[in-house]
Amino acid sequence: MNTQLQVLIALQDILLLIRDSKDPSRKKQEGRIGFKMSNLKSLEDAQLGLEEQLDPDILKQYNRMKQRYGRVVAPVINAVCHGCFVTIPSAIHGAEDRDKKLYRCENCGMFLYWVEEQPILR
Amino acid sequence: MNLSDTLLPKKINLNLKAKTKEQVIEELVKMLRLSAPARNTLTATLLTREDMGSTGVGHGIAIPHCRSLVLGRLRVVVGLSKAGVPYRSIDRKRAKLFFLVVAPPVGDPSEYLIVLGRIAQVARKLYKDRRLSKIKTPEQLIDLIKELEK
Repeated sequence: MNTQLQVLIALQDILLLIRDSKDPSRKKQEGRIGFKMSNLKSLEDAQLGLEEQLDPDILKQYNRMKQRYGRVVAPVINAVCHGCFVTIPSAIHGAEDRDKKLYRCENCGMFLYWVEEQPILR
Repeated sequence: MNLSDTLLPKKINLNLKAKTKEQVIEELVKMLRLSAPARNTLTATLLTREDMGSTGVGHGIAIPHCRSLVLGRLRVVVGLSKAGVPYRSIDRKRAKLFFLVVAPPVGDPSEYLIVLGRIAQVARKLYKDRRLSKIKTPEQLIDLIKELEK
């Protein structure tokens, strides 16, 4: 996997954790189960540490995406970008180097990640 | 939704070798059979979640969980450590029974919370049940969970 994409995925996971920890209803639901969600600083530190690993150009694009959508990487499931739900062109979807290169959705601009394990359609 | 419906025998390890929280999470994540980069990312996210607040809910139970982009669907992995592992649980007791719950950020977010709630409910009953110490196979554990869910 492209190392920059790996950092972006880790960042997106952290952004999701930050969003969940700031959501009062989510926090309440997790608290009811017995989970603590208190040390937000550890998440922000992890976020900063990962952002430092991004190349300057990618960091710029990442900041733009984050500001615009609140997330930066869109999973590709069944050839569809799950950032904007537009089908990925077959030239990109079928590219052999799709996991090695950093691709962005031509429609929404998000970085694309081909999920290894496709969901079971119900 | 029943917890037993989400469990698969090959995703249950009744003899965890891990001695630390980090090792438990790594051992459980390995059972998902992801690529090395995906596995590393998921482990890091789970450990970051633990830094925010332990998922050791006491009574010997821990439910490490997170949502991660590396997954395509909700997955549950179960592990049992006979010796127990220091897990910084709320009651400061060692955790012995682990339920790893991971889900993708897309899809129905309530499904993930429902599964977490269901696990917390069943795990407490399970931990108190004397039959747990006699379990020898993953299939027996699933059958016991099925019974407790009735």
